[in-house]
Amino acid sequence: MYYGRATDQFIRNHGECGGVITAVLVAAVEKNLVDGALLIKQGESIYDGVPFFATTKEEITEAAGSLHCAPTLSAKLIKKYLNGAHDMRVAVTCKPCDARAIVEMSKRNQINLNNVYMVGVNCGGTMLPVPAREMIRQFFKIDPDDVAKEEIAKGKLIVLTKDGQHKEVSIDTLEEEGYGRRKNCQRCEFNIPRMADIACGNWGVIGPDAGKVTFVEVRTEKGQKLLDTAKAAGAITLTDAPPEGIALREKLDGIMVKMARKAMAAQFAQFDGDNKFEKLFAQFDKCIGCRNCIEVCPICNCEECFTKEGFVVPKNELPPDPMFHLTRLMHVAPSCVNCGQCQDSCPMEIPLATITHMVQSSVEKTLGYVPGQSTSDAIPLSQIAEVEA
Amino acid sequence: MSQNEVASTNEQKWEPRILTFCCNWCSYAGADGAGVARMQYPPNARIIRVMCSGRMNPLFIVKAFLSGADMVMMLGCHFGDCHYLKGNYACDMRMTYLKAYLQAIGINPERLYWDQISASEGIKFVDTMHKIVKKAKELGPIANELGRHARGAPRSSEAQATPDDFFDLDAEAVPA
Repeated sequence: MYYGRATDQFIRNHGECGGVITAVLVAAVEKNLVDGALLIKQGESIYDGVPFFATTKEEITEAAGSLHCAPTLSAKLIKKYLNGAHDMRVAVTCKPCDARAIVEMSKRNQINLNNVYMVGVNCGGTMLPVPAREMIRQFFKIDPDDVAKEEIAKGKLIVLTKDGQHKEVSIDTLEEEGYGRRKNCQRCEFNIPRMADIACGNWGVIGPDAGKVTFVEVRTEKGQKLLDTAKAAGAITLTDAPPEGIALREKLDGIMVKMARKAMAAQFAQFDGDNKFEKLFAQFDKCIGCRNCIEVCPICNCEECFTKEGFVVPKNELPPDPMFHLTRLMHVAPSCVNCGQCQDSCPMEIPLATITHMVQSSVEKTLGYVPGQSTSDAIPLSQIAEVEA
Repeated sequence: MSQNEVASTNEQKWEPRILTFCCNWCSYAGADGAGVARMQYPPNARIIRVMCSGRMNPLFIVKAFLSGADMVMMLGCHFGDCHYLKGNYACDMRMTYLKAYLQAIGINPERLYWDQISASEGIKFVDTMHKIVKKAKELGPIANELGRHARGAPRSSEAQATPDDFFDLDAEAVPA
């Protein structure tokens, strides 16, 4: 575990804290370790993120800095637009849910993990653009377009305006009012992307360096290769992280996990108790059958969908037959990575991610499989073990 | 409404409906053996023969519940006796998952019964059947758990609108 910073002054100023990620990506592309990088850059405003494939230093630096209001998922993009990295080497910056989705997709042979370099970034949660704008108008009393930068730190949402004003509101207050992070992010127990090749972030940086250097943890051999390449190119400087820093990072992670468990219990409670099936279908029956949830889900990969052919789900019915939702749940639940894409894309605002995550967490207790956590354990039901379960 | 449905909605006359999936090589032969030996067992079960318990897609069982089965039995060979070597291990794994899944979606996992009965165990088949019918009577109709999605239950007015009210989806696509 290291403290790192970019040697390039420009990258250091444009990066979120130290610019290590940008520098590592530039070095990887320039030294031909990868063919390009799948990144997200700012679109029209800080509430807009545009995924793109960067192949030059200039393009990569465009994506420097972080966006908290652009909840995109890179995993399915690799499959859809980069041919699952089967014939090219790709570096990708990923939040923990991206990394977990990539791992799950690689287990389903959708992504070739050997060609994917995952540069993980700590994530305390993301926000949806429209509620975020509303929230900034309502709680911070400023025009959302005046915001130059936002940051989630120490349980507060901190906003920096273009004219240098500094405002902060506690996330708990925002979330009690129904704003703040997305519902699935509130429940997320994975804040440090330990399944990625390197895990970067500003947690655990103490002393005068705070906010100026990146905390880097190498997780795999590929991650070591990325870092070595950048170091050999002179793009970054590394110093060992002090033990107090590492302890602080663990502590922050622990606090976030505790908060997540609390949010999980609170959000799942709406479906608990008697008549659970009816409570679920009070939501599901809003469905208009647009199939967006299937389109965006990193776990849904079948070329011919079981729900489409009329085997168990009758065709041309609205709302769709209960078997539609039950099939989707059954196929997705053991591996749901709680990325929240289904819920974001649902035009009827069905709490799909909440329901799927609820089923996943109760199935996890039986099967003991944590989706996306490691590349070594097999997907449940994929291998027949000759032992009694 | 068929005779069965009338019976299931009438509390006094309610009899559990049990769907039984039997594997071709062991359990079905076991049931056959019970029949040949003229052993009596309650008539609540309908038996569907599958070639192997490993053929069972867990969704078939979920579909069975939604189609009005109060209890579903899955019967296969004993471990090591499978005609296809590993089918019953696969089934065992799926039933473990399915029980957790049923619990999570609000169907009592006890409504699913998974056991192993060999071709010579006609007596075990009959005993199991008695046990399961008793259990099903304790658990009550599946409609209690499924609400308006139970078979034969009236749907709410909100959910009653079908696409046919707006346009004809059954019509062939208009050629370009």
